[in-house]
Amino acid sequence: MNAIPVLTIDDVATLDGVLADFLKKSEADLTVVIDKGGNVISQYGDHNVTDVTIIAALAAGSFAATCELARRIGEVEFNALYHQGNGSHMFMNSVDDDTIMITVFGQKTTVGLVRFYSTAAATGVANLLKSLRRGGHGLEFTAADISAAPIFSDS
Amino acid sequence: MSIINYASREIQFKIVYYGPALCGKTTNLSYIHQRINPQNRGDLVSLATAADRTLFFDFLPLNAVVIKGFVTKFQLYTVPGQVIYNATRQLVLRSVDGVVFVADSQWEKMEENVESFKNLEENLAKQNISIDEIPLVLQYNKRDLTNIAPINYMEYVLNNRKKRFQSFEVISSTGQNVFAALNAVSQILLHKFSKQSDVPSTVAPPVAIPVEPPPQKQASA
Repeated sequence: MNAIPVLTIDDVATLDGVLADFLKKSEADLTVVIDKGGNVISQYGDHNVTDVTIIAALAAGSFAATCELARRIGEVEFNALYHQGNGSHMFMNSVDDDTIMITVFGQKTTVGLVRFYSTAAATGVANLLKSLRRGGHGLEFTAADISAAPIFSDS
Repeated sequence: MSIINYASREIQFKIVYYGPALCGKTTNLSYIHQRINPQNRGDLVSLATAADRTLFFDFLPLNAVVIKGFVTKFQLYTVPGQVIYNATRQLVLRSVDGVVFVADSQWEKMEENVESFKNLEENLAKQNISIDEIPLVLQYNKRDLTNIAPINYMEYVLNNRKKRFQSFEVISSTGQNVFAALNAVSQILLHKFSKQSDVPSTVAPPVAIPVEPPPQKQASA
């Protein structure tokens, strides 16, 4: 049995507080905290912007792909990436060795403002995750909690 | 394995379809995407070349309710099968929870199958994951073609180990056993994380595997 690390309701409230403060100050639309494997840890803001699951998978891939580019110029990885669109933009910054923060923003704000406030937000998120990994809670379930029926069916 | 957000009550698992070039990994995901209830899936995202070869990965998110009180999200990825894209395969394998190894049943692909399986073992080891510990099922794909190796030969080549994997005869283009393999690996990984970590009883029992030499070799001898 392998316990799965869990963000408790209190942890989520603390995390949401950090992310809400960041969105308010930066005037961005959505921020998503993901691990570098592409899994969503938490999200805050306008969830209707896009399918967050797909954004997470692609962002993790994009971040990982540029690591090799960074190594060519003597860096371990790029700490931040910016993708500029015509109306919507995306900013990604590294939170810690395993975590990335993605921010989606539009015309209301600028990349400079998002970048400026993301630094403090990333530090807040990193501190929370650090304490969680040191001795946080783990989810445990039994085999009886797992449905015996086929999980996916061919319709 | 991701951290679980208790507020959203979601658990996420990452399953990677691995195998040699052109063995049918993307076809597996396309079939699942076509046939599964649209309410239980997201879009199929393919990062492919102009010639429709996987360049980075394909990605298909699926939702299910299989653990009491939680929405379980299964994220299906494929890797690029071509030998030169090993760095990309390592990236896609990051934080993997389960693997479906897709083997091409054609005789001439047997060497590529073995190489790809060894490559999987090496890439998992780089993440400190043992291939004997990760939930894994084997697909013997393209069973509808004529020039294919018999199942016992494929088992001997790819599944002749102390801990044998559950294997499936698959035709990914028509969907035969595509869902069976997905359900099997999902159940194995769910049980891995449960308190009573018995693997499901559907796992193949260890048996002696007879060997049949390839008919092509006989003809050339």
